Amino acid sequence: MLGELEQIVMLATLRLGGDGYGVTIQDAIRRATGRDLTLGTIHKTLVRLEAKGLIASRMGEAEARRGGRRKRHYDVTPAGVKLLKASISALRRMAAGLALGLETR
Amino acid sequence: MSHRPPRIALALLDQLLPEESFEAVTGDLVERFERTAESSPMRARLQFWRETLAALTQLQWLPDRITAFTPYSRESRMQSLLSDIRLSVRVLARAKGFTVICVATLAIAIGAATAIFSIANPAILSALPFPRPEQLVMVFERSKEGVSSRTGYATISDITERATVFSHTAAAADWDATFIGEHDAERFRGMRVSWKYFDLLGVRPVIGRGFVQGDDIVNATGPMIISHGLWVRRFGSDSSIVGREVDVNGVKRVVIGVMPPSYEDVLEPESQAWRVLGYGPTNNSSCRGCRHLQFIARLKPGVSREQADREVNGLALQLSKEHPTEYATPGGVVLGLQDRIASQAKPVLLALLGAVGALLLIAIANVTNLQLARAIRRDEEFAVRAALGAGRGRLAHQLFAEGLVLATLAGVAGTVVAAVALPLLVSLLPAAVPRLQAIRLDASALFVVAAIVLVVALVMGVAPAWQAGRRRLFDALRSGTRTLGLVHHRARSGIVVTEVALAMLLLAGAALLGRSLMRLMDQNAGFDASGLVTLDILATGTRYSEPGSVLANHERVLEAVRAVPGVLDVAMTHQLPLGGNWDRYGVAAMDKPLANPSLAPDADRYTVTPDFVRAMRIPILRGRSFTDAETRDTIARVTMVSDALAKRLWPGEDPIGKYIRVSGPTRPWWRVIGVTGNVRHTGLDADVTYQFYTAERQWWWEENAMTLVARVRGEPRAVAPAIREAVRGVDPLQPMAAVTTMDQVIARSTAQRRLGLVLFVAFGVIALLLATAGIYGVLAGSVNERTREFGVRTALGATSGAIARLVLREGAVLAAAGLAIGLGAALVLSRYLRTLLFGVEPTDPIAMLVGATIIAAVALAACLIPARRATRVDPMAAFRQ
Repeated sequence: MLGELEQIVMLATLRLGGDGYGVTIQDAIRRATGRDLTLGTIHKTLVRLEAKGLIASRMGEAEARRGGRRKRHYDVTPAGVKLLKASISALRRMAAGLALGLETR
Repeated sequence: MSHRPPRIALALLDQLLPEESFEAVTGDLVERFERTAESSPMRARLQFWRETLAALTQLQWLPDRITAFTPYSRESRMQSLLSDIRLSVRVLARAKGFTVICVATLAIAIGAATAIFSIANPAILSALPFPRPEQLVMVFERSKEGVSSRTGYATISDITERATVFSHTAAAADWDATFIGEHDAERFRGMRVSWKYFDLLGVRPVIGRGFVQGDDIVNATGPMIISHGLWVRRFGSDSSIVGREVDVNGVKRVVIGVMPPSYEDVLEPESQAWRVLGYGPTNNSSCRGCRHLQFIARLKPGVSREQADREVNGLALQLSKEHPTEYATPGGVVLGLQDRIASQAKPVLLALLGAVGALLLIAIANVTNLQLARAIRRDEEFAVRAALGAGRGRLAHQLFAEGLVLATLAGVAGTVVAAVALPLLVSLLPAAVPRLQAIRLDASALFVVAAIVLVVALVMGVAPAWQAGRRRLFDALRSGTRTLGLVHHRARSGIVVTEVALAMLLLAGAALLGRSLMRLMDQNAGFDASGLVTLDILATGTRYSEPGSVLANHERVLEAVRAVPGVLDVAMTHQLPLGGNWDRYGVAAMDKPLANPSLAPDADRYTVTPDFVRAMRIPILRGRSFTDAETRDTIARVTMVSDALAKRLWPGEDPIGKYIRVSGPTRPWWRVIGVTGNVRHTGLDADVTYQFYTAERQWWWEENAMTLVARVRGEPRAVAPAIREAVRGVDPLQPMAAVTTMDQVIARSTAQRRLGLVLFVAFGVIALLLATAGIYGVLAGSVNERTREFGVRTALGATSGAIARLVLREGAVLAAAGLAIGLGAALVLSRYLRTLLFGVEPTDPIAMLVGATIIAAVALAACLIPARRATRVDPMAAFRQ
């Protein structure tokens, strides 16, 4: 079972289709949830997920507006997708029949 | 890019989250800043700070950062640690001088700390080795001085009968046990104990059985338990020892058990044999006023010491109402056994733990200082390794590994030092330190070593990294300026100031203890201790069972010793001043009857042969000493009293011709024929006690254990063997013990203070040497860095005196700062030494001055060499550099 923070970060990474990095992941989370996570928190979660083999990273190009620093892009690994699915369906099953208005489709 | 993120925040990020590993994180932060700054630069700055702090707190200590971000990610952390250690060993092997100095410095400090810890551990830190040790207590009667150390048997049995808080109670008395063999006799300390004594403690003999109720009958003689050591030494570990009959003090006793090797009697640590107490209400020695027993008890489960204390106090008050003439100060006290037995040694052990802690800090400071100096020189090495791809983390790990290797070497060497020093220290320890036999280098000592090793490794690894970090930070803040020297200098100077302060603390302690001992030795003992040989003799066994045979033996011994060349005077006494004995009696004056006889002053009894006061050179202030003839009179008893006792009994009156009675109303009267000077009986540091002297022929029993004192011409130790032979000539089987000199008896009575002093001085001297090395190192480094400056100054006409003053001033500032801090700390902390001081206030200005002067002088000496080198700088060479 994944932690809530891990789920959110992984979902945001999935949405960005393998091109996401710190800043865009932060924006994606803010847009979807309204939560303003710090980049430190996001990176810490990413490090943890990468250590577990649930996401993978590659270094990108240096950019002037990053002070000449490179980006690190993240993508969810197949193992990560599998665990994410299991985690979310577990949530679904827990919520099933509770008349919370969660069964939208 | 009109706006730039806050530089300080950026520098912090760079410092704590180095680019090599965290490029993407810092990049994200900067990008976020740029994006926000397009609309609101102010908000962007605030946001950047917030993001920076979050990133630092979230990521700095992230254990995975190395594996996740660095090119080393495939290497396991264990592997990288191993390779770091291999590299460290190579690096340290190359820097031999550095390694040897660090390991030696640390080994001495770790060894000292471990040894002191091992001594203090059984006595005051760990619990007594008995089941439920917190239930063990001692019970005392109140007395004028607080509590009376001994209790009468009737009181013990009354309290035992009435108390509800104890599961067991027992009484214990001292017992001098002389084992008489066919060819020899050996004297041991022993104890007479209630049969429940070992059950109360929760220990059982390893061989044979313990005492049972049937053993402890009135005037019991038979059963005896011996120590494991005695069994091995005197009985050759004979497995059939149980049931063996042994002649002890001329009485046949049966060995019924042998205690375990680890058993050490807490009440009498030197005890080798135990017999039952054998007291009943009708026994001569079981009266309430016969205060010679120690009263030990075990609390029932769930009963607190405070509860027991209240109950016992109530019972004691009740007893003093029932027997109003027996108790001078009504009331009773219950104290924890461990608190009680450790109470005397605790202050000195705590002070030594503090001192050795200070020494350890200085040693760590010193090696850290060396490591810092070395790190500066290794800048190039680190730069090359960084250029080859080693991250900041990797370099920090490398430094930690170096510290770990050094500290581990020092830990091993320190354990060896402790193993060597410990037996030596234990042999110097006074018997007052409890549980001497339990002192060993055990697992807890090794744990202490391991903890110290880890701390040293951390400090040695972190300090250079921290210093390196500060340098980069400063560089970032004021780019272009050279701040290296300043920063490195500040760190090292701080360390040196700390070292000087700690050394000052230790030296001040040493000076205070030294002054105390000097004051103590100046104390008038009341007799002349120089040129006195003392030895214990015992007239016991069947040969001395006839009445008068003991006295006859004494006469023959005195005669034989008097004939030894070099002997001026010889006498005997049943107890020696400052010898650690305790034999006191209440003294009542015939013309001053008291309503409550317990209020009579207690005085030390000296039962002696007629020449005693002359041999000891105890002055006679009024009247005269015994004549040989009058001591043979068994009816008209005569006595001498000490000046203090005379003034207490008959203030303003002439005591000569007055009568006193000791030890109760049934006893005979003694006529006072002389007044002697006061003698310090319990200790040079104790208050003056009262004394009375009786001739041994007139005392109501024959004292078979006496101490012979012989005043000799010349060196006492040279005459001692001849005296010994003379005694042996009278009776070859007569046990003799403790052939020594009075000076040594006094030295033993001050052993605890001497040991404290010796260790404080030793630690102080080591600390001083280390602090001096620290000052020297900093100044030498500074002179090196300022070579150009000195060259310029010399070229511009500065005299060598002016240059030397520059360096000396720098050293003086360090020393003065350290001195000031150390002096302040010494003035505050020295009160913890108070119980160890004598005749000196904890803030004694002379002691402080002595400490400060030594530090100042040695610090100055440490400055001289670098100062000389500075004056020799060749301007031309300096410019060419």
